[in-house]
Amino acid sequence: MSEPRTPQARDDKAKGTDVVALLMRQHGDIRNLFDEVEQSKGKERRNAFHRLVRLLAVHETAEEEVVHPFVRRMVPGGEQVVKDRLAEEKAAKETLATLDKMDTDDPKFMPQLMKLRKDVQEHARAEERYEFIHIRRTTDATNLAAMAKAVKVAEAMAPTHPHPGVESLARNMALGPVAALMDRTKDAVRKAMGND
Amino acid sequence: MTFNPLEQRGIPLDRQLRNWREMNVQPIDPDRGDPYTRCRIITMNGIEVEAILFSHQLVRNTVDPEVKRQLARTRYIEAQQQKVVNWLLPGVSSVLETTIAYEQVAVDLTAWVARMEPDPYLRQAYQFGVLEDFDHLYRYANLYEMIEHRKAESIVDNLTEVMPGRPTKFHHRDPYDNVREPYDKNEANPLSKLHALTIMSAEQQTMNFYMNTGPTYMEPIARQLYQEIGLIEEEHVTHYESLVDPGETWWEQLVNHEYNECYLYYSFMEQERDPKVKAIWELHLNMELEHLHTACDMMRRYDGREPQEVLAPELPKVLAFEPNKQYLRGLLDTQMDLTTLGAGYVREAHERFEKMQEQIHGGEEPPSERVMAEHDDMFGREYRVQSEGEHPDPAMREK
Repeated sequence: MSEPRTPQARDDKAKGTDVVALLMRQHGDIRNLFDEVEQSKGKERRNAFHRLVRLLAVHETAEEEVVHPFVRRMVPGGEQVVKDRLAEEKAAKETLATLDKMDTDDPKFMPQLMKLRKDVQEHARAEERYEFIHIRRTTDATNLAAMAKAVKVAEAMAPTHPHPGVESLARNMALGPVAALMDRTKDAVRKAMGND
Repeated sequence: MTFNPLEQRGIPLDRQLRNWREMNVQPIDPDRGDPYTRCRIITMNGIEVEAILFSHQLVRNTVDPEVKRQLARTRYIEAQQQKVVNWLLPGVSSVLETTIAYEQVAVDLTAWVARMEPDPYLRQAYQFGVLEDFDHLYRYANLYEMIEHRKAESIVDNLTEVMPGRPTKFHHRDPYDNVREPYDKNEANPLSKLHALTIMSAEQQTMNFYMNTGPTYMEPIARQLYQEIGLIEEEHVTHYESLVDPGETWWEQLVNHEYNECYLYYSFMEQERDPKVKAIWELHLNMELEHLHTACDMMRRYDGREPQEVLAPELPKVLAFEPNKQYLRGLLDTQMDLTTLGAGYVREAHERFEKMQEQIHGGEEPPSERVMAEHDDMFGREYRVQSEGEHPDPAMREK
């Protein structure tokens, strides 16, 4: 008997007032999508991989726009913490760019994906342990909620549900390249944060 | 297969020390390894921790400085063994993921021991305890989905089912009722002694783990759930340690400890499929053989007895990690409503139990119930893995 899928962070009914809890749940969503890509084949794999790329893109963009600036500004020694995280993100983005150009049926695809999975997982744990703990320590509930709202705006930019069939694949394609998605996410987050 | 640790020689003690390079082991893959490899690691860590703590207690009760020094030498090697074994766990796993793995150990190790235990009173003690660990796995699995949005099946990999056992809130018994009767050291089957030591050590490690890692969580429900289950681990250690005959001398206990380590390293070496981990089990077995011989010499010198008088003539059938789904379903069907009374078991809630329940819960739902309510608020369902069908107890089926 298989259990129903865990909904993604914006679809669960959590109160969603804490940016750290929200980002930790998104880390789980990203791992779930890696599993889905790994366990599927053909069209399904292509579809799952598209959703993974998009979730990764908006998640990382939201962190860059919301979390890292906060830590850099508010946490003593935050500059170095963020620098380390950005180096990890850069490495992951390079692997992601290579993968995004590759066909999911390419024999080189899975080894690359597994490498990315490992890098992303290590990066996520490092964020949770060395960056997120500072956020909860240095801010109040209002600010945690404001940041959570901005992250949710970003999350809304990525399709969360699988869209079986050609139609949806076309729709995913229509969302355009990852770089453009990151730009749109950036704009939306900045607007939500009132920085624009 | 006949393997008699008393007749084998291992690596001489003065050649057992490892340098930093040799200590720096490669951790297992956090997501794609065999879950039972991780179970063996967690088990052996608990066994080594017990070896170290027992040896410390022994020297605190020893006058002769030469004996203290000899024990210190062996114990230092055991401390290295503990580091090597526990450092096989990957740093990328969260505390909650490791917790779920600990509960998988508690379920499948205790179930296997219950199946193999020859003595009916001891068997009942394991059957009673395993239904509680089974429920802890279910509660932590629901917490895990809430905090990390991940499913426990990605950790236990469908080798172990995840569904309610005896509800955690009923595990809080008056401490008076947690003390069992010990086996008789002169009558007990040698395998029974090994079982008691193994399960006691595993539960003790779980108790230590929860008491130290619980407060590292920030989420209130997580902190509270670790407190609640941590207290039940205290009850479990009390339950299992009281099975061991306190009439065994310190030296006899030391020999039993070392013999058990040989038994478990040998068992896991036979079972292990990960070649790097298997090599560690083999190396440690070869170290333990010498620790056993050292302990045997001490027993001869200070007790004036032959270790053969208390040990098995040969190693029992190897202990194995394997699915126990049907066995557990049988227990779920028949032993859910048991509690303890004195050194025995009853089906009815008695006065002392009721009083304890009333006091500890203080008229509120405990964390183990609230975690389910919060999970339901978030997802509108519970998290379970029922690969073999519905829950055997109709009252425990999902509404």
